[in-house]
Amino acid sequence: MALTCARCGAQNPDGNQFCSACGTPLTAAAAAPQSAPPPAPPSWLATPPQPAAPAAPVAYASPPPAPAAYASPYYAPAAAMPQAPVHRTPWILIVSAIVALIVVMAGCGTAIALLGGKASISGGITPDLPSPSPAGSPSPVASPIPIQGPSATNPVVTVPVPAGWAVSAKDNESITLSDPNGLGFVSVASGLQNPHMTAQQQKADFDTVWKSKYPDTVECGGVRPTTGSLGGVQGIFWQLCFTIVSSGRSLPAETDVFVGTNADGSTWYGVILVTAQTYMQNLKSEAAPILKGIQWKLK
Amino acid sequence: MRCDHCSHDVPDGVFCTRCGAHQGTTEEFGNAKTREHRYAAHPGEHVAQPSVLTTLMPHLGHHKIHEFRWAFIAGLAGILVLYLAGLISAAILLSAFLVPVLYLIYLYEAQVYRDEPAIVLGFTLGGGIIIGIVATVFERIVYNPLQYSANPFSHAGVSVGGLLIVGLLLPVVQEALKPLPAFFLPKRADFPETVDGLVFGIAAGLGFSLAQALIGFSEVLTALPAHVEPGNWIYDLTTLAVFQPLLQGSATGMIVAAIWRWRRGRLAGREIGAVAMAVIAHIAFAGGTQLMKETSVNSLFILVWQAAIVGALLIYIRYLLHHSLLEEAAHMGYAETVCANCHMHIVASGFCPNCGMALTAAPNAVKRSRRPRVESPASAARKS
Repeated sequence: MALTCARCGAQNPDGNQFCSACGTPLTAAAAAPQSAPPPAPPSWLATPPQPAAPAAPVAYASPPPAPAAYASPYYAPAAAMPQAPVHRTPWILIVSAIVALIVVMAGCGTAIALLGGKASISGGITPDLPSPSPAGSPSPVASPIPIQGPSATNPVVTVPVPAGWAVSAKDNESITLSDPNGLGFVSVASGLQNPHMTAQQQKADFDTVWKSKYPDTVECGGVRPTTGSLGGVQGIFWQLCFTIVSSGRSLPAETDVFVGTNADGSTWYGVILVTAQTYMQNLKSEAAPILKGIQWKLK
Repeated sequence: MRCDHCSHDVPDGVFCTRCGAHQGTTEEFGNAKTREHRYAAHPGEHVAQPSVLTTLMPHLGHHKIHEFRWAFIAGLAGILVLYLAGLISAAILLSAFLVPVLYLIYLYEAQVYRDEPAIVLGFTLGGGIIIGIVATVFERIVYNPLQYSANPFSHAGVSVGGLLIVGLLLPVVQEALKPLPAFFLPKRADFPETVDGLVFGIAAGLGFSLAQALIGFSEVLTALPAHVEPGNWIYDLTTLAVFQPLLQGSATGMIVAAIWRWRRGRLAGREIGAVAMAVIAHIAFAGGTQLMKETSVNSLFILVWQAAIVGALLIYIRYLLHHSLLEEAAHMGYAETVCANCHMHIVASGFCPNCGMALTAAPNAVKRSRRPRVESPASAARKS
């Protein structure tokens, strides 16, 4: 026998507990007298969560009012209806998992750093550039030695290009050479400067520029700047350690820097070597012929 | 009552349980049928609200969202404490793992994988990790950051080659590879809904992000001393902990969701736009970051840029998912169930008549507990 829904009049197969068209409980609707009070909502229904439930109908018109004697069953089914077994991870478990993650990662990170990190920085990198000498000592001016083999030149400097090295950039003030393995580069530059500056002022400017690009820049392993000469020019040698973060990759890198000026500060000279911290010693060995063969053109 | 929009007889409620349309007058909110003021997965929010957790974890009710939010905040606080303590290696590790681990807990909570946890987790998170390893190794071959590092002596300016690799080639390759694990997921017929595809894509993207972070930062992890001056590491940590995983996860989630829509025979402007949006957002994120780093823009502006890109991605995901849920939930048929959002015990079809949540976005345990009602031939005939 088909069951007729008391609300919408739809015919439902025998045995249906709810109207297939409008969802009205067929048995409840049929059995409950029209004047009966609405079924008491279960305790979990008594205080529905406020944020999710739509606010009181201030912003939109309420649905059409139900008949006075009709109690909408859709939010308050019979108490006998079992509550669905909602899978719920206790909040304390979720937060505990994250706290455990913090502790484990702190432990692992510290262990990794203790095991592998210290050797590469704390030992420092000894400058291997030519002729460091105490600050204030007069600078010997080297006699130009003709460069044997290939070289690169611009209006301010000439540098030898050893086998395997390549000129990666060149302009009127600088020449940049990439090492044979593509793991670093040497850049040699010079130019006139006005107002005149000392090597110390040049160093300060360089540090500022470098730290703006690599904010974690520090002097490597406590190695202090030294003075000396390069290619016959007096200047300052120092080393900076920093981290290159690019495209999701992070690399501990180092730059060894020389900046110098002529006697009246009207001309500046600079050399930088840039590579990974672990490769700097190799780069300096490979770059030694370049550094020894630098010929400054501005005097 | 009769729905104002689909004209079906439906249970009384603020929302039609068949089409999800908001009943009554809602002019001040916009279109009642598309009801974008009530995001279908979390009706307490607008579709255009760039909320991270309710977008990436659409199956959670609002109670659970709060718990996950607090867990996320606890993780971020942990990163901050490690940073302030100078334990940068530990902070990097925690940053890499935080969002993927949180998502793993979410997958368990929502049981999106249904009866196939090993297959689903293996092909999404696991597959993403493998793809991440392969892609990062490839990236190391084609891109050496040392070659494009700063040279204050040179007037070469921005390196176009580096920008093209980092800002164009790598994002496109990554977005082509990351959806593959979810694309080849076996038994995908068991997970037919767009929200499934979205979650699988996000999981694959987060797996990728985890592998990328661990491999990408491996040299720093093994080189940094245990304690260093915190310096400006906080910027890179923020990207690593928040924006990179959100970008990778949401971009892949959106592409996989679009693939799922295509498999359902729905490939229109919205879906094509989703794929385009994901790729463009990734290009903008990576290229913009690279460009700003090369031009020494303040790191704070880089974070603002990254946040803007991720926010736009999240909004598009919500837009795509919202309309997908509105279209897909109607097939569910009447059943007794519990709304995962408002926790009302309801008799409904595709949407909670009380809060409007799409019931296809309910956790799996709730879906399983539905007690479906067979539609009567008379009702079917009347509809036809």
